[in-house]
Amino acid sequence: MKRNKFYSGIATALLASTVALAGCSFGSDESSGDSDTGGSSGESVTVDVFQFKVEFKEQFEELVSKYEEENPDVNINVKTVGGGNDYGASLKTSFSSGEEPDIFNVGGPTDVDEYESYLADLSDTAAADAALEGTLTGVSRDDKVLGLPFNQEGYGLLYNKQVFEEAGINPDEITTFEALEEAVQTLDSQKDELGIDAPFAFPAKEKWVMGNHLANAYLADEFNHSVMEAYEADTVEFAMGDQMKRFTDLQNKYSVQPTLSLDYSQQVEENFSLGKVALIQQGNWVYNTIESMDPEFAQNNVGLLPIPVEGYEGSIPVGVPNYWVVNKESGDEVVQASKDFLDWMYTSDTGKKFVTEEFKFIPAYEGYEDLEIADPISQEIYNYAKEGNTLGWVFLGAPTGWTEGALGVAMQEYIAGDITWDEVEQKATQAWEESRQ
Amino acid sequence: MQNRSLAFWLFLTPVILGLGIVVVIPFFYGLFYSFTDWNGITADEFLGFENYINLFQEDEFMSSIWFTVKFAIVTVILLNIMGLGLALLVTRNIKSSNLLRTVFFMPNLIGGLILGFIWQFIFISVFGDIAGLTGIEGLNGWLSTTNTGFWGLVILTAWQMAGYIMIIYIAYLENIPKELIEAAKIDGASSFQRFKNITFPLVAPAFTVSMFLTLSMAFKIYDQNLSLTNGGPFNSTQMVAMEIVRTAFSDNQMAYAQAKAVIFFLIVAVIAMTQVYYNKKREVEM
Repeated sequence: MKRNKFYSGIATALLASTVALAGCSFGSDESSGDSDTGGSSGESVTVDVFQFKVEFKEQFEELVSKYEEENPDVNINVKTVGGGNDYGASLKTSFSSGEEPDIFNVGGPTDVDEYESYLADLSDTAAADAALEGTLTGVSRDDKVLGLPFNQEGYGLLYNKQVFEEAGINPDEITTFEALEEAVQTLDSQKDELGIDAPFAFPAKEKWVMGNHLANAYLADEFNHSVMEAYEADTVEFAMGDQMKRFTDLQNKYSVQPTLSLDYSQQVEENFSLGKVALIQQGNWVYNTIESMDPEFAQNNVGLLPIPVEGYEGSIPVGVPNYWVVNKESGDEVVQASKDFLDWMYTSDTGKKFVTEEFKFIPAYEGYEDLEIADPISQEIYNYAKEGNTLGWVFLGAPTGWTEGALGVAMQEYIAGDITWDEVEQKATQAWEESRQ
Repeated sequence: MQNRSLAFWLFLTPVILGLGIVVVIPFFYGLFYSFTDWNGITADEFLGFENYINLFQEDEFMSSIWFTVKFAIVTVILLNIMGLGLALLVTRNIKSSNLLRTVFFMPNLIGGLILGFIWQFIFISVFGDIAGLTGIEGLNGWLSTTNTGFWGLVILTAWQMAGYIMIIYIAYLENIPKELIEAAKIDGASSFQRFKNITFPLVAPAFTVSMFLTLSMAFKIYDQNLSLTNGGPFNSTQMVAMEIVRTAFSDNQMAYAQAKAVIFFLIVAVIAMTQVYYNKKREVEM
């Protein structure tokens, strides 16, 4: 009897809450739902953009409002969720809750596979035509182009020009490992006179610095610089494993210690920007950070050296980290409006100016020859790319979580002295093979 | 139990509704998903117990559980000793006791993420500088080894939570009748005897509460872990919560992570229930 009373009580409670909620029925649905079906012409189209790049959120929104001025019947909403994992998770959430964006971002081939059923073919866009050779391989599936590159990024060894000059080192001569080693030893022997703590700052705490970037330089050749080849590979051989070990050891030995608790912000802000170290392995994305610490230093004092890879002396890894994609479920008008906007961003004069000056991107498209690239690091990377002195970015084609979870972790264990380098390769290879079974 | 009128349920409605929407329903959803190959967007096939079988064979998950258990044991002991100690300190008649209460409670008001970064700075930079000045080698390289990472987390958690546990003990300490203490004094009990025979048994209920709190807190810790060590070096200071998040979002194995979460829930529930049951048995009635 008591039991029954309890359940009827619960039922009453739930009933009451339903009544209470009925008053505020979900009104938001109507506004967003209808716009997607795109009414008759003349009505406005709403495009929802969901993007991850926090660094250029404000500039991007400015560009969007410019576009809306030029095209009064298009309405673009921008939502930005930053940070590596957060974006992927939020994107998933928005898909599973039915609030699907019309334009969103994907990284490598893995993401493309996951969302493939949602991706519209963009091969008929002007931007796809203008995309530089090789930038579309990761997002092409049987004659379809499913994404448009954000920008290009590259990395190498950023060095402090002034310290190199004082130490009497000519950066142009450093293309081989031996030359680099010699330069590093020179720097190390003159530490006190040069006023540096160590030649390098090696952030071994950051698994991506080792597992993604450092490793990529030595794995690119194995997969013929193709992200798709890496994506389809059943195994990884570490053909250049010895060179990779050498380079890891060099950075680790001559770094500010202890490396295992050294993170990205300490590396770039505390050590490099303040002139405490002469070299860091990073890419053009650090420019804004260095500039915020010391604008003068950033503008005039940062140079870029290639990572020494035998057979690729004087080349740096350059690649496309992210792509714009359009959701084909969004109704034809919205898809078209989305394509038009992306085209305008990368191929119109206003858009191009924004891409280089405001976004400070290294463009991944043709037609930017006469435009000035915003910062010196990007300019150098663009020069390497123009001359074709590049290595591919293959790490986006590795199994999900492999670069950090398997290789990065194993390299940390190696640095801690718990395992040998051979074991690093074994562990990483084994993890790769297991994922690809 | 007799007055379950309509009004009673109406007042309970918002809470039941909230709990249902954000806890109960998602929990059962999750339970269902853990038996499938759900990837966050769609679930294609029903796997039965495959996820569960796999997770017991995964070294990383098992070692994160082991690490969390060690951490929980150490922090629970440390926190209760510190909490009771601080409570005894501020319930004495010292002038600054109100100020001290505030000071001890303060760390609790700062978010775990921020605290992690503050302590990271202390462990790495401050400790390093002190080591440089005094020549104590042991202060160098904190957070770069598994052991220092572990103790770093323990110190941070103890510092953050001790004030909160102190408040719970204070509440019970102040409820101890003065007459009892005075009677014991007149009977010639030493201060240690008074503590052992009067204070300690009477604050036993506080142990139940604070042990439950510290235990579940120690198991579920995530943000301090993230900002202090980020699981490094080589994921050896990774707690269960972080391991689950990584499985879900870095390795993109949603259903597998959900299965881990279910196991995690069971572990915490069983431990907490057992602890409460035994502590309750030992409490004394006034």
